[in-house]
Amino acid sequence: MALLTVENLSVGYHTRKGFLKSVQGVSFALAEGESLGLVGESGCGKTTIGMSLMGLLPENAAVTDGRILFEDTDLLKLSKKEIRQVRWKKIAMIFQAAMNALNPVHRVSEQIAEAILAHDTEISEETAMKQVESLFEVVGISPERMRDYPHQYSGGMKQRAIIAMALSCNPSLIIADEPTTALDVIVQDQILNAIKDFQKRLNVSLIFISHDIAVVADVCDSIGIMFAGQLVEYGNVKDVFDVPMHPYTRSLLASYLTLDKDIVQLDSKPGETPDLVNPTPGCRFSERCTVSKAACSLNTPEWVEISPTHKALCNQFK
Amino acid sequence: MEVRKFILKRFIEIFIIFFVILTVLFLLFRLAPGDPVTRMVDPTLTPEDSQYLIAQLGLDQPIGLQYLYYIKNFFTGNFGNSFHYGVTVSSIIWSRLPNTIILFTTSILLSAFVGIFLGKIASWQKGTKTDTWMTLGALVCHTLFLPWLAMLMIWIFGFKIGWFPLNGMISPKIWMDPSSGFWLKSLDVLHHMILPLATLFLIHFGSYLLLMRSSMLDTLKEDYILTARAKGLEEKTIRNKHAAPNAALPVVTSVGISLAFSLSGGALTETVFSWPGIGRELVFAVSNSDYPLAQGSFLLIAIVVLMANLVVDVLYAYLDPRIKY
Amino acid sequence: MTVNQSTQTSKISVRPAKRFPTIERLKEGWSVYKENLIGKIGLTLLVIFALMAVCSFFPPLIDPMYHPMTGVDPLITHSTGPSWRHWLGTDFIGRDILCQLLAGTRIAFMVGISAAFMSIFLGTVIGMIAGYAGKIADTLLMRLADMIMVMPTLLVVLILSSLFGQLNIWTIVLLIALFRWPGVSRVIRAQTLSLKERPFIEAAKVTGASHFRIIFRHIMPNVLPLSLLYMTFRVTSAIIIEAALAFLGFGDPSTVSWGMMLQWVWKTGHMFQAPYWLLPPGICISLLTLSFYMMGRAMEEVLDPRLRKEVAQE
Repeated sequence: MALLTVENLSVGYHTRKGFLKSVQGVSFALAEGESLGLVGESGCGKTTIGMSLMGLLPENAAVTDGRILFEDTDLLKLSKKEIRQVRWKKIAMIFQAAMNALNPVHRVSEQIAEAILAHDTEISEETAMKQVESLFEVVGISPERMRDYPHQYSGGMKQRAIIAMALSCNPSLIIADEPTTALDVIVQDQILNAIKDFQKRLNVSLIFISHDIAVVADVCDSIGIMFAGQLVEYGNVKDVFDVPMHPYTRSLLASYLTLDKDIVQLDSKPGETPDLVNPTPGCRFSERCTVSKAACSLNTPEWVEISPTHKALCNQFK
Repeated sequence: MEVRKFILKRFIEIFIIFFVILTVLFLLFRLAPGDPVTRMVDPTLTPEDSQYLIAQLGLDQPIGLQYLYYIKNFFTGNFGNSFHYGVTVSSIIWSRLPNTIILFTTSILLSAFVGIFLGKIASWQKGTKTDTWMTLGALVCHTLFLPWLAMLMIWIFGFKIGWFPLNGMISPKIWMDPSSGFWLKSLDVLHHMILPLATLFLIHFGSYLLLMRSSMLDTLKEDYILTARAKGLEEKTIRNKHAAPNAALPVVTSVGISLAFSLSGGALTETVFSWPGIGRELVFAVSNSDYPLAQGSFLLIAIVVLMANLVVDVLYAYLDPRIKY
Repeated sequence: MTVNQSTQTSKISVRPAKRFPTIERLKEGWSVYKENLIGKIGLTLLVIFALMAVCSFFPPLIDPMYHPMTGVDPLITHSTGPSWRHWLGTDFIGRDILCQLLAGTRIAFMVGISAAFMSIFLGTVIGMIAGYAGKIADTLLMRLADMIMVMPTLLVVLILSSLFGQLNIWTIVLLIALFRWPGVSRVIRAQTLSLKERPFIEAAKVTGASHFRIIFRHIMPNVLPLSLLYMTFRVTSAIIIEAALAFLGFGDPSTVSWGMMLQWVWKTGHMFQAPYWLLPPGICISLLTLSFYMMGRAMEEVLDPRLRKEVAQE
């Protein structure tokens, strides 16, 4: 049984230019212990999906359609108070360390203990601190540095502290939003290993959001490629990498071409993200697609199943 | 950076600034048209007395030596004699300083606390009626013309309704009466202080409210607020524990920057309410060409601004761990 | 992509100039400004005051007794309340208060705008130089700015007027400008520092543009909107300082300003007897400064995308 099922999710933002349809008709499912990577360029709606799952969309955002079933409850129907209890206890988040995800005026240990205490009223402050200490050991920071302030940490340490914070309430799902962006390569590698490690060991489900397809391939079981608010290809990492179907996926893979893989060089044309206020009814990638036909920009693309674990949103394969 | 090092650094900076002010003032008094001697020595003194004073202030010396005399006199607290009062400037200043400090600090503290508190509320209710009215009220109060507001206060609450005395700091009747005790006297001062305090409060709290409001709105967009929300914390905790301490930091800085403005306002308030402080003394001295008194009270006001700045810096260092550790 | 992306960008949006950038920007800015209640109130008030300033030229033409400074009603020797002859009453020697009020509007605009313009000019140039040149020039200019910033302007001008005698209105304007630039220059400096790192400045450098050209052709157009914003706040403070100075009796005796009217009420002891005289100048000073302040706040919203209602994203 799937832990999380997202069905036909559509989210938009009220902006000055009109209603911006940031996410449209996205569906996917995640089993317990499974990890899913969401890949796409900035503005494709991947973070919006993460925020919808947490119920943390900004005020000008609106979910226009769809369901988010988590452990058989629709998260979109929960009251503010109920969703607050789901946050962190059930679904936690790993933020980018380069962002100010840690509050500069509070000690790191306090910020982690706070999460524990907020969801467990029985626990004493001392016990919570003990737990923080063991979490620090899990993610590989010396507990001596617990009482430091965030600005005393390096980028990698901050990211580890954020991971420790995500693990603090034993959630069943963790959403990692670009957790390694803006870290240098060696630290990036360490952090990825730490994430893989806890994911396998604790058997927690993971949604890994990144613009880097290589990183996702390294960490995840399945992968969803997003373009302009839509999922365009979805499947097992191995399947997608072996036989990329959607032209956008191919162009993504081409830009990270390895020698042992034989992929036809398929550059996409340069172009901006399509207009999401008045999106075209046809394929949104058609303008940048090198294999598109005239009909592509008119006809709504449909899902094509390549294998039971692999599908793509493209009319070329009909 | 360590707190002590930070404060020492600021102290040295402030000392240098003060020294420059001291020097500029010296030069101005020499550069201005007219004879510096007649400016610093009361023309109505007897020749012997004025000779003595000239020697003491070094006015018969070449300009370089005059400067050294000037610095020495400043640090020994010798500012010359007031033309009007006929006593030493330092004795006047020292008797006025506490009155200014009482009014100044209470008004700043009160308006900062109330402003920050209300700003926090307004930002939290952004877009609601409460917010709109608070913002509008703060804007209007902030731009009221201070002397006019002071006069209105006196006219309405002092003259028409008669709740408060029209001006001054004490009622002679109470202070002359040997039977009135400490509490009665304090109460009397407080009674006199309410109107000037209310005037300064109304002028200043608005700017703190607006600052805190926009600072809060900025802070609420920070990533750590998102983290706090994601952690499932209650909105009240997010506001008071995560947003407010960060939002207050820029407000504290701006309190420091606006101190000079507050002291100008203080001088106007003291003048209209006849509150016996240094600001009023400065205005009085300038109006009556009492140069030694003007110079002395100006320097002391400069010291008050700079010291208050230092206090704000210390407070900032205390509030922001990025400086503390 | 990120919901909070806007926090990572610099505070005020700066874009390298497009074709017809000014017109485009103004149009876009106006559409944001229009929706702002505070901005609309401010602009309305400003228009009313501008009309008052224009009207100030007419009364002396009707009758010499309506001249704000020298015109005395021959029938009146003391302060009188409102009447048909004098809509807002007269002052202690029979001059018309409404005429003085109108003339004061003109002075307030003159003082406010010219002092603000000068201080903005100084602040912008100094800020750009400090930010662009860096090193010693930066340190010296910013230390100077710090020093001036901690000085209470009003009291400094008071001391100067005691030393140099009665100041005329232009000297007062100049002094206000000289003491009010540091705040502006700090902001402009910070902005210049961030602009300096932008590719289009680098590009200009590579193509061999002179420093002068880079500063005035490439940096200035991008900091100018910010200067303009600060100008509205400086107008406010200039009007207040001039009025306070006049109120204390150090204004230019040859002009009629609102501060001076308040001084007359106060010094001649009419504070309690003549509300028709006490109220108008104070209301005018407060409302005019309020109008500039409100416009400034609305402009801030135009210039700072982070303050706009929507959270820019996706």
